[in-house]
Amino acid sequence: MEALLTVSGSDYSRRMGKTHHDSEADEQAYIRRAQRSDARAFEALYRLHVDKVYGLCLRMTGNVSEAEDCTQEAFILAWNKLAKFRGDSAFSTWLHRIAVNAVLGRIRKSKREQDRIQAVADTEPTRTTAADTGEMRDLAEAVDRLPEGARHVFVLHAVYGYTHDEAAEMLDIATGTSKAQMHRARRLLAQQLEKQGFES
Amino acid sequence: MNFDDRLDQAARQLAKEISPERDLWPGIEQAIRTPQRRTPWLAQAAAVVLLVGASSGITYLAMKGESGPVVAVQPELIFEKAAFGGDYHLGPGFQDARNSLRSQLDAELASLSPAAQQDIQANLDVIHEAIVEINTALEQDPDNVLLQQQLLRAYREELALLRRVGGLTRNVMTRNDI
Repeated sequence: MEALLTVSGSDYSRRMGKTHHDSEADEQAYIRRAQRSDARAFEALYRLHVDKVYGLCLRMTGNVSEAEDCTQEAFILAWNKLAKFRGDSAFSTWLHRIAVNAVLGRIRKSKREQDRIQAVADTEPTRTTAADTGEMRDLAEAVDRLPEGARHVFVLHAVYGYTHDEAAEMLDIATGTSKAQMHRARRLLAQQLEKQGFES
Repeated sequence: MNFDDRLDQAARQLAKEISPERDLWPGIEQAIRTPQRRTPWLAQAAAVVLLVGASSGITYLAMKGESGPVVAVQPELIFEKAAFGGDYHLGPGFQDARNSLRSQLDAELASLSPAAQQDIQANLDVIHEAIVEINTALEQDPDNVLLQQQLLRAYREELALLRRVGGLTRNVMTRNDI
């Protein structure tokens, strides 16, 4: 098990030849240990889930350094709230909600969103990753340029598959607002992507 | 396929799991391993609670065995670090004062009517039960300010009740500004 602590989370199960069931059992064991303030077990949970949390933070912020900060904040929040986790939802879903809160909290604190959008628009994208290629990269960059509200809804609803009700609850907005932001996101993305020859 | 359908399909294909370019764990580890600093408010409130308890105990000790008029006793300032929650305990100074008052309580109760004894004991039981429940809740949520306030209030009420029963309210400094 100690090996897990030195292997990147996304590679761990594959390298160890573990089944999905084994990984779930491991996760439950780590959660129980971490709930008893076992930091090593929490590190194991971090390794297992960091890519999911960072991916969400990166999609929502569109900025590498902010995504890194939000990811760290999310895991620190998760550590502080871990005793409250009862397993009513999947641990990854619970973490997602905490990550969304971390992103929103950071935005509320900084109030620099407009500056950030302008900075992203004026410079080369800071979040380009090997995970997106070709047309997908064009889409990812266009999503980064969306205004905050539209981007958050698009990421949660269109990318991660949350319903409008779920996205609205996570973002603390009305369901109707979520739908309106999604409509806005589609319109803005259409304007951007059709210029780039995004095939329809 | 129209644009919206194409967009939805493409959005679902975007990578959802992305590895950060650097290991973020060291920063997280540093944050979670650093002991959380208690708020100055809590430290101050804890000190006041201890002050009340200790001064009451000192007054009681000074008065024990006296049959004449009550002699005013200058409360001594005893500040002692204390924190609350499942993994913390009140300091020994507070515990001593509390034990002294508890001992006196038994003697005072004996001179009261059974009904009065029952009422006082029932009140103490309620407070003790509250202290246990709040401590249990604090184990799960040690930074909950509301719980901390409730715990301090419970301790304060216990001390006030002990003081009232023991007739030690005169000439003892009290603080209500917690």
